[in-house]
Amino acid sequence: MSWKYLCDVSDVSNNSLKLVDVDGIRIIVANYGEGFRAMPPICPHMEEPLDESGVVAGCVLTCTKHLWAWDLRNLDLMGETEKELKTYEVKQEGSRLLAFVERELTYDFDEDADDDEDFFANA
Amino acid sequence: MMRTSLLMLESNPRPGPFSDDLSASPEMPEPARDTRLIEVQSKSGSTGFACEPGETILHAGLRQGVTLPYECATGTCGSCRAKVGSGEVAVDWDEAPGHSRVKRERGEILMCQTRPLTDCVVRVPANVSVGFPRHALPQHFGGRLDVIRRLTPDVIHFELSLSQPISFDAGQFVLLRVAGLEGMRAYSMVSYGRNVRTLQLVVKRKPGGGFGNWLFEEAREGLFIDVFGPLGRATFHPDEDHNLLMIAGGSGVAGMMSILERATQEDYFRSHRGYVFFGVRKLVDCFYLEEFSRYVRAAHGNLEVTIALSDEDCGETCHAQYPEVQLAFGMVHEVCARAMEGRYDNVMSYIAGPPPMVDGALRTLIVGARATPDRIRYDKFG
Ligand SMILES: Cc1cc2nc3c(=O)[nH]c(=O)nc-3n(C[C@H](O)[C@H](O)[C@H](O)COP(=O)(O)OP(=O)(O)OC[C@H]3O[C@@H](n4cnc5c(N)ncnc54)[C@H](O)[C@@H]3O)c2cc1C
Ligand code: FES
Ligand code: FES
Repeated sequence: MSWKYLCDVSDVSNNSLKLVDVDGIRIIVANYGEGFRAMPPICPHMEEPLDESGVVAGCVLTCTKHLWAWDLRNLDLMGETEKELKTYEVKQEGSRLLAFVERELTYDFDEDADDDEDFFANA
Repeated sequence: MMRTSLLMLESNPRPGPFSDDLSASPEMPEPARDTRLIEVQSKSGSTGFACEPGETILHAGLRQGVTLPYECATGTCGSCRAKVGSGEVAVDWDEAPGHSRVKRERGEILMCQTRPLTDCVVRVPANVSVGFPRHALPQHFGGRLDVIRRLTPDVIHFELSLSQPISFDAGQFVLLRVAGLEGMRAYSMVSYGRNVRTLQLVVKRKPGGGFGNWLFEEAREGLFIDVFGPLGRATFHPDEDHNLLMIAGGSGVAGMMSILERATQEDYFRSHRGYVFFGVRKLVDCFYLEEFSRYVRAAHGNLEVTIALSDEDCGETCHAQYPEVQLAFGMVHEVCARAMEGRYDNVMSYIAGPPPMVDGALRTLIVGARATPDRIRYDKFG
C-alpha cells in the first residue's frame, strides 16, 4: 500500500481520460478541468472499457454506452445511474500525479458463488 | 433488508439452474401448459408476477408493469441481464449476441430470451419497481399485414392492422414475430396515435437478414404477424416543453417520423423549434421526403430537416425536388454538430440508428453540446 506514480499532469489533457498501468493494475486517470480522478478502467454498469466509452465534459464523466454519468467533483450519481464510481485517492506533486493504491479496486459483478449481493450492490 | 431476503432464498439443489434446450434432455418432462410464478429480487426489493406459457420473463414482467431493465428486448444488447436464483429455465436463442454480456455458467440469463419451466426466483442488478410512470403497458396483439409500399430498393414501408386498439408514445417500438422465423424483431412506429388499430412501420433491409428476406421476398398483404408492444423509452412528450433535436441513421428515422407526426398534429412547432438530421449514404437512399416537406410547411418556419449524405457530395443546398429539405455532406453526427453550434438551447435530443452512429451522436452531444443524460433519448438498432 502506497502512493504510486500514475502519469504526468501534462499526459492527460483537460476533459480527457488516460489509461495507465500501475504495477499491473490498470487505472483510468480523468482530468475534469478542476481536478483529477483515478478509477478502475471499466464502467460499473456493464463493464465497458471506459477509455473507449467514457467522455468527460463539464466535470461529468459519461459512459456513452447507456449514459450512466457521475459528477467528478463530488462523485454524485447523475440521471438514472445506479452504481457508485470507485476511485483511488489522487494527489499532485509538482508535475506528477500519484494515486494511493492499496489493492486493485474492482466491481464485483458476481465473481464468487457467495457474493450475490455484489450482483446488486456497489460493495 | 435485501441481504436477509437473499439469505433466505432456497438454493437450487440441481447442479446448474439451466436447461438451455428441452430437446437436449429428453428425460425432462414437457413443460406443463400452465402459468409460472416469477419472483424478482432487485436492488429495490422484491416483487412477483406470472409468466404465461411460451412467454419470456422480460415480456411477462413488462406486460404487468414490472420495470425490468431492457433496451432492445430482442437478445442483442445485454441490458436485461439477470441471474436465476432458483428454478428451471429454457433459453430460446443460444447465439444471442447479448449472451456475451452474461456469465451463463453462473446462471446468468438474458430475460428477453428466457422462459421459465418452473416457478423461478430471478435476481436483477437494477432498481425494479411496479408501474410505468408514463407509458402504456405492452401487450400481445394479433396483426395483419395491410399495405406494403417499397420506398427505395432496400426500404419498405408497411401497415399493420391490429386485433385491438393500441396506444403508444411517439418514439416507441413493437416486436414482430412472423411464422417460420425464429425470434422477434423490433420496429419503431412511424405513425402516431392513441387508441388506433393501425401501425405504420418501416424496414431497411439488412443483407441476409431473416425479417428483411421475409418482407422483401415472401410477405403479402393479408398475412398474420404477432405484435408485442409498445416498448421503449425514447419518447416525445409535448408537456416537457423542449425544442427537439432528432438525429437518425437509416431506418432510425422511423421514430422521428412518429415524433414529427405528433408534433404536427398538436401544432407543437408553433412555439418550439425542431431540427432533424437524417443520415443516409446517397441521395437515392433517402425516403419520406414528401412527408418531411409536409411537416416543414406546417411548422411555421420552426422546423429544419437536413439529409446528411455520407457518400455523395451534393454541396450544402436544398433538395431540387423538395426544397423544404436541406442537403449536406458528411456523417450525420458531424453535419449535426456543424449546424447546431450555439443552438442547443432547451433541447431534448433523440437519436436512433445503427449503434456506431448512435455512439458518435452521443459523443457529439455530450462533448459539443454539454448535453446531460436527462436530455438525451436514444435507441440502438442492433
Ligand atoms: C429498439 C429497436 C428499434 C428498431 N427499429 C427498427 C426500424 O424501425 N426499422 C428497421 O429497419 N429496423 C429497426 N430495428 C432493427 C431490427 O429490429 C432488426 O434488427 C433488423 O431489421 C434486422 O432484422 P433481420 O431479421 O432482417 O436480420 P437478422 O440478422 O435475421 O435478425 C436481427 C435481429 O433479430 C433477432 N433475432 C435473429 N435471430 C433470432 C433468433 N433465432 N431468435 C431470437 N431472435 C433472433 C435479433 O434481435 C437480431 O439482432 C430496430 C431495432 C431495435 C433494437
Ligand atoms: S456500460 Fe457504461 S453505461 Fe452501460
Ligand atoms: S433487452 Fe435483452 S438483450 Fe437487449
